[in-house]
Amino acid sequence: MSGPPSAPEVAAVPDVGGARAGRMEAGAERLRPIFAPRSVAVLGVTATPNTVPYDIFYNILSSGYQGTLFPVAPGKKSICAVQAYRYVLDIEDPVDLAVVVFPADVVDRALEQCGKKGIRGVIVISAGFREMGAKGQAREERLEAVCREYGMAMIGPNCLGVINTDSAVRLNASFARKMPAAGRIAFLSQSGALCTAVLDYAREKQIGFSKFVSFGNKAGVTEIDLFEYLRNDPQTDVILLYLEELREGRRLIEAAQQVTRGEHPKPILAIKSGRTPQGADAAASHTGSLAGEDAICDAVFREAGILRVASIEELFNAAILYTNQPLPAGNRLAIVTNAGGPGVMATDAAIRVGLRVPRLAEASMARLRGVLPAAANVKNPVDVIGDARADRYTAALEAVLDDPNVDEVLVILTPQSMTDIEAIAHGVCGIYRQAGKPIACSFMGAADVGRGIRLLQEAGIPHYILPEWACEAMARVQSIRQWRAQPVGDADRLPVDAPAVRAILQRAPEGYLDEDQALAVLAAYGLPVPPHLLCSSPAEAVAFAEAHGYPATLRVVSPQIVHKSEVKGVALDLGDAGMVRAAFERMRRYLSAAAPRAEIRGLLVRRMIPAGHELILGTKCDPAFGPTVMFGLGGIYVELFQDVTFGLAPLGRATAARMIRQVRAGRLLEGLRGAPRADIENVEQCLVRLGQLAADFPRIVELDINPLIAGPAEAGNAVADVRIRLAPRNDSFENPETEKTREQQ
Amino acid sequence: MNSSEVYRRVVGVVCRVLNVDGSLVEPESHFVFDLGAESTQSIQLVAGFEAEFGIEIDAEAALGVQTVGAAVDFIAQQLKDKG
Repeated sequence: MSGPPSAPEVAAVPDVGGARAGRMEAGAERLRPIFAPRSVAVLGVTATPNTVPYDIFYNILSSGYQGTLFPVAPGKKSICAVQAYRYVLDIEDPVDLAVVVFPADVVDRALEQCGKKGIRGVIVISAGFREMGAKGQAREERLEAVCREYGMAMIGPNCLGVINTDSAVRLNASFARKMPAAGRIAFLSQSGALCTAVLDYAREKQIGFSKFVSFGNKAGVTEIDLFEYLRNDPQTDVILLYLEELREGRRLIEAAQQVTRGEHPKPILAIKSGRTPQGADAAASHTGSLAGEDAICDAVFREAGILRVASIEELFNAAILYTNQPLPAGNRLAIVTNAGGPGVMATDAAIRVGLRVPRLAEASMARLRGVLPAAANVKNPVDVIGDARADRYTAALEAVLDDPNVDEVLVILTPQSMTDIEAIAHGVCGIYRQAGKPIACSFMGAADVGRGIRLLQEAGIPHYILPEWACEAMARVQSIRQWRAQPVGDADRLPVDAPAVRAILQRAPEGYLDEDQALAVLAAYGLPVPPHLLCSSPAEAVAFAEAHGYPATLRVVSPQIVHKSEVKGVALDLGDAGMVRAAFERMRRYLSAAAPRAEIRGLLVRRMIPAGHELILGTKCDPAFGPTVMFGLGGIYVELFQDVTFGLAPLGRATAARMIRQVRAGRLLEGLRGAPRADIENVEQCLVRLGQLAADFPRIVELDINPLIAGPAEAGNAVADVRIRLAPRNDSFENPETEKTREQQ
Repeated sequence: MNSSEVYRRVVGVVCRVLNVDGSLVEPESHFVFDLGAESTQSIQLVAGFEAEFGIEIDAEAALGVQTVGAAVDFIAQQLKDKG
């Protein structure tokens, strides 16, 4: 066994980042015909208004598209006074983009012609593919094959279409009712129907878009390709995503990190709906049952720097704050309000989501005392009192913005009889332009405050009906700031004895490893496995216990017995040699009656591990995302609290540390109410080592350490129980990436 | 009725319903892809064939008929079954 790979071998991989960036550039270039086509053909246009084929054509025509448009409408001379073509091949001029609205059963023929015409981008609006079952799936595969053959980038099928508001393009290749306003937000959605609702919502809120993409069944272009394109799109500052199905977790992380980090980072916020039972079914271990697709999606998003939100409202609440405001320097919020109750509610909400509501500087409070009535509250939240008019709001807002303890400000207004709402809105607009710090507003109500809200929105000031929503949006923006400040968590590789594990796995059949073998696997990877011995006689067990101390424990080891306690295969707290001997005999007698067909390989003896925090550490090889690592509260609390989190393996110490902090178990380890702190650094290392093990040996389908006992730091941690389930022996489970490393060790 | 007569009358219905020139219609012509039939016109085509040939066409079965040639074969079979 030796250390990790030496530096020259690591350096031998040339310019990985540059190669990745180059690949992404090429990917982005592939989508240019879709977003900035010089000419568009719509295939399958009909002459009947209020049908999808007609509306698509009409929308492109009427949205002010800056290129050339060709309707392909067999049997028609013209559509909307534009000369029509029978086939796309009949068009003499070059065509960059084809929008296909033919019925599903002839779309492949249409794509064939597009390929022959030399078209590089296609949007297939038509439905009737994978979403319709096996027959549709076969049709979709045919489209994929045609696109591959001709090198065409395809959006869809089964989608609403694509909108690009860039004034140089102005393309509404969708059947959305209206072209949205131009803005700095790119919205990507797997659901077409949701797109129409979002467009309607955005129009009401005066939210504009740079790009609007419904990518449907994502048979060709996926959200990952779109990230690559939007990364360098000068019109886009933030990307919003609605996703129903996550297929390529690792590629998504790579692409999203390129967008969310780097010189000109852009945040990605996402809603991920839809769950598949794939991860949970037939899972016998805790890790297996907890590692559903959704839990792993969380891990993927965290790793990618994608902020996951639960609703469309949250998505836009954060996006409008980010796109219209400077990034705050910190999380210290000042609140200016004309009503005590909402101020307190906002304070509660701010603290709940992780913002701070600091005490203002003495100079700021003195300044506020000079401009506010005596009854006003000059502490944070600043209460300008119910009769406040615009002058008071303006003075208070200027004072808190100048305060060095304040990073961002929330202005709350309730419409009282003295409140000059529009004047206050004008005042906020005037200050906002020079503020240099983020300002959000919550003019609470509906009818009376409507005009004021409109003024704020027109000025680009984020407005929220509820102060709590403003606080949540501010917290999301804080997460964006923190993500950028966070070091990149490249995987660490620790010295391990991989050949030992390989030897064990080569001998082991499919199913659960015997406990002694599972412990040997963990020990080879440096997990804290206490000394133990597999004994075949009471004398052996007693000799071990005498040497290692009491109390001792005995545990049956048998390939047929997975749940030991169900067959009384565990004996604890054995205080002396007599107890060990008696327990050994009793267990042997009982097992021969309770499990007569089980092959008993022996009883495993070890010194009983002192009490401590019970943690669960596990791994699971997910069919879609590869190896993952789980951490959380273990023992009997696993199912009750489900206080667990996942990371993608292999992982680095920084990621391991974050995983521990993400769950409540992490706080326990810090030492609550005077309890001693546990050896958290060792837990981090255990997670890194497990990630390494899972990545090196994909044949380990599931691994559960439950519990890992975390005692006080000086006592250390110890594996109390472990289960490892193996896939069938098969060469494909060897990980070629780690093969070299193993040979070096 | 022989098949060339069926073909001639099918083409007549197709040109009338879809408002296309007869020169565009061939046995391989796909009603949608080559002749631009819209969804409502597909229903009109079935009704046109029923009236032209005095037959009743099952809507489910008609879904599988997508080209002029297939319509000719389908109708010829219907006429034969009818006796």
